[in-house]
Amino acid sequence: MIQKFISLQWKEFIRSSSFQKGVAIKILLFIAAAYIGGMAIIGGMGLYLGIKKMIPGIDPMLVVNSFIIFWFMADLLIRYFMQQLPVMNIKPMMIIPIKQKTIIHFLLGKSVISFFNLLPLLVAVPYCITAYVKGDYPLLNIVFWLLSIIVITLSLNFLNMLVNKSNTVFYIVATLLVSLVACQYFGIYNVAQYAGMVFYGLYMNPYYIVIPIALLVILYYANFNYLNNRFYLDSAISKKVKEVNTSDLSWLDRFGAMATFLKNDVRMIWRNKRPRQVLFMSGLFLFYGLFFFPNPAYKDMPAFLAFASIFITAGFLFSFGQLVPSWDSEHYKMMMSQNIPYRQYLESKWYLMVIAVVVSFVLSTPYIYFGWDKYAMIAAGASFNIGINSFVTLFGGALNRVPIKLNEKAKAFSNTQGFNPTQLLIALPKLLLPVLLFWLPYYLANYNVNAGIITLAISGAIGLVFRNYFLTQIEKVYQKGKYKTVAAFDEK
Amino acid sequence: MISIQNISKKYGQNTVLQIDKLEIPKGQSFGLVGNNGAGKTTLFSLLLDLIQPTTGYISSKGIKVHESEAWKPFTSSFIDESFLIGYLTPEEYFYFIGDLRGQHKSDVDALLAQFEDFFHGEILNQKKYLRDLSKGNQKKAGIVASFIGNPEIVILDEPFANLDPTTQIRLKGIIKKLSEDNQVTVLVSSHDLMHVTEVSDRIVVLNKGLVVKDIVKSEATLKELEAFFAGSAVEAALEEE
Repeated sequence: MIQKFISLQWKEFIRSSSFQKGVAIKILLFIAAAYIGGMAIIGGMGLYLGIKKMIPGIDPMLVVNSFIIFWFMADLLIRYFMQQLPVMNIKPMMIIPIKQKTIIHFLLGKSVISFFNLLPLLVAVPYCITAYVKGDYPLLNIVFWLLSIIVITLSLNFLNMLVNKSNTVFYIVATLLVSLVACQYFGIYNVAQYAGMVFYGLYMNPYYIVIPIALLVILYYANFNYLNNRFYLDSAISKKVKEVNTSDLSWLDRFGAMATFLKNDVRMIWRNKRPRQVLFMSGLFLFYGLFFFPNPAYKDMPAFLAFASIFITAGFLFSFGQLVPSWDSEHYKMMMSQNIPYRQYLESKWYLMVIAVVVSFVLSTPYIYFGWDKYAMIAAGASFNIGINSFVTLFGGALNRVPIKLNEKAKAFSNTQGFNPTQLLIALPKLLLPVLLFWLPYYLANYNVNAGIITLAISGAIGLVFRNYFLTQIEKVYQKGKYKTVAAFDEK
Repeated sequence: MISIQNISKKYGQNTVLQIDKLEIPKGQSFGLVGNNGAGKTTLFSLLLDLIQPTTGYISSKGIKVHESEAWKPFTSSFIDESFLIGYLTPEEYFYFIGDLRGQHKSDVDALLAQFEDFFHGEILNQKKYLRDLSKGNQKKAGIVASFIGNPEIVILDEPFANLDPTTQIRLKGIIKKLSEDNQVTVLVSSHDLMHVTEVSDRIVVLNKGLVVKDIVKSEATLKELEAFFAGSAVEAALEEE
């Protein structure tokens, strides 16, 4: 039976439309996966050596164990937003003589094969090997510690499934996590230290591994029972029909003719999984500056800081904007035959992106902490994003004809939506042009940072002056590709 | 109203539609029938400029549809579920369409009130998104949405499919009334010969991309159509042998 399932899954994989794309994309994806994998391996090795170097005198194993709780928390958080739950076309299986339990076991087993379960392995295995080779650790303890980490990762996998399926579990886990973080933060209780002891205990006493294994078994059967009791068309198999949340969006009416579209887009973002995911991701961009601003290494290289400044306000612009026509792919035929001038459609998307940049800019106010010059840089970046990048992004969207399923989360790595070589080429000027515009005047004006900031800000303003011209040109590109886009969005 | 000139659509060597000339006058209720793959949806898609014609053009009120967007304000359509916005409630969707067609909220409400029977209490105030409605109810919402904003041309692809018998009968009444009272040009395609003959003034039969019959409706029309499709069934059976 299992072989049959596997063969079905294999066919689903190789016959899926995302797989039957150009060789170039496959190669790019492979390179990207290899890159991330490679980074993880190097990171794992570096982890041991780095800790040894930076914190001499303390056993790296002790350090790693005291921080591992944060890794697992982040893991769970990322999984919640990113990991797609295993889906299998169960309906046709329900009426043919296959044991229900077999199907559920297969479904749960399938969820183990996921990028999110592989990544920890890619870090932990090289770490353990390096630790064993370079350090003085007993093999048995290292191996069992590694196994515990793997088992805990798998437990998180199944915990995430429960969290996604059941609201009760979600609230319990969320409350638990928030209170743990709060305890740590306000110094009520040193969670990290206690957790560190627990994880170190796993290393010291190999037989403690029974605890994570028990956890895994419990979570697995919790999932199993959950599905087993709801194996009916009207419960687990059915899509969740949520009660609608209608909210008053009349405050958007001030945008005039654009309001109709803006309201629609706000609802789209709010009510669908995929755009919500993008919103979450673009929130993360806000923290991009934290990697650059405090780092003394970039002090003499303000061009890198300009690069970071662009990113801080561009999160939504980049991640939402590059998929612009695709967001409406599910009802594109209607959009094209309704009484909607193309121009207005594009303009409303442009407004949405501009609003997002402004909001990100307001949210980035705390960066004043790193100095007003940094904040001025962010402001100049925002100006550039509004005046130039918004148009480049819209233009790039015209070349993107991948349909999006709005209410499904993107799959990590099996997802090539909005990812093609042309898109990459378009992305380059979005990032390199501002850096150049900053660096050149900065260099010419004898390393004066202000010259760079002013040029960047002014170029944004100039772009805004040519707004109508840009939009007309972009409209032409969209018009030209209309039939191709309609046909591509029609393919499911 | 609508003038089809020498239009054809080819995919590679395969011609899916070839119509030399077809005129549809204003206020006509036009029925399109044909087996699967006859080219019905292709014709409607060409009318809405959703696919590019290989040769020829279609003009609507003198506007060539693939050259200008000016036909959009007086044309509305419901082809399939991709004409609905799944994440909106039916009300939000109706008001959205109303906004696009310059209709005030109260105008939309007044129009919707006329369709209370047709909705049968399953569309409005359901607190559900369109994507969560059943196929039949989605269709009801889409069809009514195509009446918003006093369009002069209404295009409906297979409007009777997936509807329950009561709604089918009501829909027939609505379509008939639309072309009689308001001089709206209604284009309807269907697999149901009885329904389509009942609502149309004129019926065109497509077969493998060609117009094989163009008849003004009379008492004998249904019989004639049935004879034609029964005949083509025999023909197909013979071809297989």
